[in-house]
Amino acid sequence: MRLPKFKYFEPGDLKEADSILKSESSAKILAGGTDLLVNMKHRIECPAAIVNIKRIGDLDYIRSDNGNIRIGALTPLKRLHMSTDIKDNFPGLAQAAAAVGSYHHQVMGTLGGNICQQNRCMFFNQSRWWRSARPTCFKAGGEICHVLNKKEVCYSTYCGDMAPTLMVVNAKISLANAEGSREVPIQDLYTGDGKNPLSFSTNEIMTEICIPAEENDGVSVYIKFANRDSIDFPIVGTALWASMEKKEYRVAFTAVDRKPVRASNVEAFLNGKKLDEKVITEASALAAKQAKPVKTSVYSPSHKRRMMGQLLQNAVKEAVRRSAQ
Amino acid sequence: MKKAIELTINGDVHEILVATHHTLLEVLRDQLGLMGTKRGCDLGACGACTVLIDGEAYLSCLMLAVDAIGKQVITIEGLSEAGDLHPLQSAFVDLGALQCGFCTPGMILTAKAVLNEEKQPTEEVIKQKMAGNLCRCTGYKKVVEAIMHVAEESGQEG
Repeated sequence: MRLPKFKYFEPGDLKEADSILKSESSAKILAGGTDLLVNMKHRIECPAAIVNIKRIGDLDYIRSDNGNIRIGALTPLKRLHMSTDIKDNFPGLAQAAAAVGSYHHQVMGTLGGNICQQNRCMFFNQSRWWRSARPTCFKAGGEICHVLNKKEVCYSTYCGDMAPTLMVVNAKISLANAEGSREVPIQDLYTGDGKNPLSFSTNEIMTEICIPAEENDGVSVYIKFANRDSIDFPIVGTALWASMEKKEYRVAFTAVDRKPVRASNVEAFLNGKKLDEKVITEASALAAKQAKPVKTSVYSPSHKRRMMGQLLQNAVKEAVRRSAQ
Repeated sequence: MKKAIELTINGDVHEILVATHHTLLEVLRDQLGLMGTKRGCDLGACGACTVLIDGEAYLSCLMLAVDAIGKQVITIEGLSEAGDLHPLQSAFVDLGALQCGFCTPGMILTAKAVLNEEKQPTEEVIKQKMAGNLCRCTGYKKVVEAIMHVAEESGQEG
């Protein structure tokens, strides 16, 4: 399967990348390539230009700075789940990195790339031949969304594994261009619009992910439910951060909505409570109310809602077990 | 858009003119005639196109050829030394870890990357890391046995 033709750029620094991205308005950034190149082969993304940012130095690191953990956006997922710093302090993050795709995807794929992963849908992530049986969907450049048979709207689902785990530890994302850099909370990256899921400007490059020092007080867990453990995207993924001492909890889900979602209703219910069997069961009943899954894969929305509760139960039990260690 | 590049493949430097939208897999097979690297799904889901880049397992169908500049690429053709099969290749043959052989180059190179990372991986680790290499003749059990065998042998030597 050939890739479509494109202009190719390999900037050596952020300034050069910025000037290329400004002059090539429809350019796409290439990092690990495990998401973008597949979509290009399917002709669902056909950018006029590709900007390979891997030659930009110093975007691949895991550093501890006054207790804050700083991770370069080009850090491969494999390094993330093998790092003792991450495994010891944020096991949920290591679990999520180890759950992405196959071993090869973890070697090639980067943390920044995974966070910026395109939304997915069974009508979108298909070959051109498969898609030719229907009118082109809205996300691929047509008018209609086949999921709910509505015009000018896209219900594709965000399926990244890393985003929910970073959301529950209040990660901050640094975005940079030639004018400078800014730091935003990770949830602000996502628009909730299936067609354009990311909120930041096309000439900004994600440079760093920072986990604040105070998050070290709790335990983190990520549980992914997928068809095959070996390679698939999540049917539902659940991230939990829990501080048993402070009785403070944070919960997020992936693959259930157009963006990764924080389950604020579950958090409000759990906060201040001790996690016993009754509380866990009640919390899991609330989980499904936080998202509105639609049928963007072969798994039904009701199945996803049920799994949200079940995975939350499993995650809470795992967190209790870990904090007792 | 074409670009004159130098690629280091199996220790040999190749000066070639490549289209920037061609993948490493296309250049290896169609321009350099290295047919050992297989085109399977061509979408990064089967592992048949695995090559080693600086000792790590990469999917050559999802990597631009121009991205391999300055890196050491090893394909299945470059694994044997002085005409002798690599221990992984011998183990696959001796223990019957292949049937049609289409997935075998990818399997062996992924196994090599796994053993580069950890000399004595457990069976569970091998299964996890090899899970991205699909075999449609259903030969996983013997594949894992062959890799375990090589790991044990190298442990005894070391």
